[in-house]
Amino acid sequence: MIDNVYDAIVIGSGIAGGWAAKELAEKGLKVLMLERGRNHEHIKDYVNANKDPWEYPRRGQRTREMIETHPVLKRDYPLDERVLNMWVNEQESPYVEEKRFDWYRGYHLGGRSLLWGRQSYRFNKWDFEANAKEGIAADWPIRYEDIAPWYSYVERFAGIQGSKQGLEVLPDGEFLPAVEMNIVEKDLANNLKKHYQNKRHMFIGRSANITLPKPEQNRVNCQYRNKCWLGCPFGAYFSTQSSTLPAAKATGNLSVEVNKIVTRLLYDKDSKKATGVEAIDAENNRTYDYKAKIIFVCASAFNSTWILMNSATDIWPEGLGSSSGELGHNVMDHHFRCGAGGTVEGYEEYAEYGRRPSGIYIPRFRNVYDDRRDYLRGFGYQGGAGRGRGVEVPEMLGAEFKEAMCVPGKWHMGMTGFGEMLPYHENTIKLDKEQKDKWGLPVLRMNVEIKENEKKMRVDMMEDAKEMLEAMGVKDVWTYDSGYAPGMGIHEMGTARMGRDPKTSVLNGNNQVWDAPNVFVTDGACMTSSSCVNPSLTYMALTARAADFAVKELKKMNI
Amino acid sequence: MDRRELLKVIALFTGAAMVGGELILSGCKSDNPRPVPFTPDILALLDEVGETIIPETDSPGAKAARVSEVMKTVVTDCYWPEQQKAFMEGVHHIDVESNARFGKKFVEAAPQQRKELLIALEEEAKKYNEEQNKKDEPRREALKKQDKEFDFIASPKHYYTMMKQLTLLAYFSSEEGLTKALNYIPVPGRYDGAYRIKKGDKAFSG
Repeated sequence: MIDNVYDAIVIGSGIAGGWAAKELAEKGLKVLMLERGRNHEHIKDYVNANKDPWEYPRRGQRTREMIETHPVLKRDYPLDERVLNMWVNEQESPYVEEKRFDWYRGYHLGGRSLLWGRQSYRFNKWDFEANAKEGIAADWPIRYEDIAPWYSYVERFAGIQGSKQGLEVLPDGEFLPAVEMNIVEKDLANNLKKHYQNKRHMFIGRSANITLPKPEQNRVNCQYRNKCWLGCPFGAYFSTQSSTLPAAKATGNLSVEVNKIVTRLLYDKDSKKATGVEAIDAENNRTYDYKAKIIFVCASAFNSTWILMNSATDIWPEGLGSSSGELGHNVMDHHFRCGAGGTVEGYEEYAEYGRRPSGIYIPRFRNVYDDRRDYLRGFGYQGGAGRGRGVEVPEMLGAEFKEAMCVPGKWHMGMTGFGEMLPYHENTIKLDKEQKDKWGLPVLRMNVEIKENEKKMRVDMMEDAKEMLEAMGVKDVWTYDSGYAPGMGIHEMGTARMGRDPKTSVLNGNNQVWDAPNVFVTDGACMTSSSCVNPSLTYMALTARAADFAVKELKKMNI
Repeated sequence: MDRRELLKVIALFTGAAMVGGELILSGCKSDNPRPVPFTPDILALLDEVGETIIPETDSPGAKAARVSEVMKTVVTDCYWPEQQKAFMEGVHHIDVESNARFGKKFVEAAPQQRKELLIALEEEAKKYNEEQNKKDEPRREALKKQDKEFDFIASPKHYYTMMKQLTLLAYFSSEEGLTKALNYIPVPGRYDGAYRIKKGDKAFSG
């Protein structure tokens, strides 16, 4: 048993868990990281990273078996044979959809840090104020100034490429040299700026791909293969494996155990603190207890809340943190899949050499400054210009047809809106009363939908895209709304929000559970609102900030 | 070229979304689909169909890229039984048509005759696919209303559309196609968004 005593336990090994482990271990704590899935070793286990397209016998087509065994994954692009082992086994880990919810999970060391889109943006000052100003949900207990130094801290370590723009709506960060926009995008960006009198902006999407080597982390700069998804043998994008895990291990203070599913936190009602965690081994079903002074819950938003729901139920039947009435509530995601596209005339003497790991970004302009819409908040766009392949010829087969298929086609430009989703109390996850997973553990039941605010916003996301593309000079513009179901953004947020009042929030301003101050939740679960920007950078900053606070409190014997 | 781009190209040049790998209708499980009998004769026929679409020029053609092997694998593993049936009936039809027109099997017909036949099939396929799409529309809309468009599975497209799609998929993901007909750069190492090219230069692929 003595072997199972640590200073800190980190549950989960994704973006938040990796940061928690690194920060706590670097500050001298003996840390145990628990991962529910299998090990996944940097480089060695990126088995498809260097495959050529012809090495896949089905050339990437989905098999009937893949579709039948992945009832959720099949709904969108993630079902792909190249990364099939990087998504959860849906038979082993089902969940209940009271309303449709697409839940994309990665149960392996590194979690979704190996699969993420790498877009890295700061929330702005208005994002932290909007709930209070508009009387929505609860107020964030922190402001931009509280997190800004931590954004800088994590950006410097993770390595974010981007360009400074001096915009209040999308604060600048500590950037590596930006990946370039292509010649078409540069011209379109200028047209946009001119047309909207410098009120709308388009620039390269900021992403966690390094453009200069980071030898201290053994990482080589991006090679422009755009195969991040397969695992990067160069370590060019930020992941637990490429970045935080090696740093945490280098301290000599980190232990990692894989295949350990944390089933609950062990809670002592006299000291009002957690004393450790209980876990079962995913392979042999044996139960283990681990003890620690502090616990970081970073199991991904819904699974972090699932652990709280299963903890201290003898005191609070709905689980640790449920005294607020908000545990499991306020589910958010980013809604998207609507926008516009078109063709760009000319530029026939240019092509793109290399494949970028990031496209363009157009930051939010709706409900900013004096702009007012009939909905709250706003959206940003991601997209890009590129040259298609193949030109149309009258021949439908033969040598001329082949020739026409092998040359660059027209330039086109497209953009997709990513919109903020408000935190609605009635958007919930709960423990299902009947269904169990492979290990006999209760599964989650999802009841989440978008409402009028998001639906109105989607019309703008489509129409504004069209208007801007036309203003930029793009031709044959078409709009689309491919439909959105909650979860598709793979940005699950909320369910254990931060706040100023234990009666309306699960966590305080330092990510401590109000009812157990030595328990910290720093992944997507903690979010009080969602902004419209990709959230991972904010999880990194909140985690580093909370870890710093936790160690200081520990030294002061406050927790 | 990445996979998604390839699928777009295929859809554009065959007038139909890529067949296979779509989603299944509830209650239409493909338990024990019958093995699809790809005989050497059928593979030879499919290679010739492929070669007629993508012939050898200054770069290898579909036959050299062994597109029939990919067709066999994709039809066997990825097509739903109804699509498999339509595909295999099509294999038979091609020889029936060829015999009717030229008095010989497709593989024995002259290259010009093969071309003529496939051009006729392309026209036939266009009309047929439009009808199939029209027929599918209410079903697709109904599923969309239930927020279950992912359960939609299209009625089989014309067999020639399937063959042409598979030829393009197989060729433009083959070593011959990517490295000889296109300019394959697996590790570009840098990005240049204003790279100068000349008319007739091959497109990059990766």
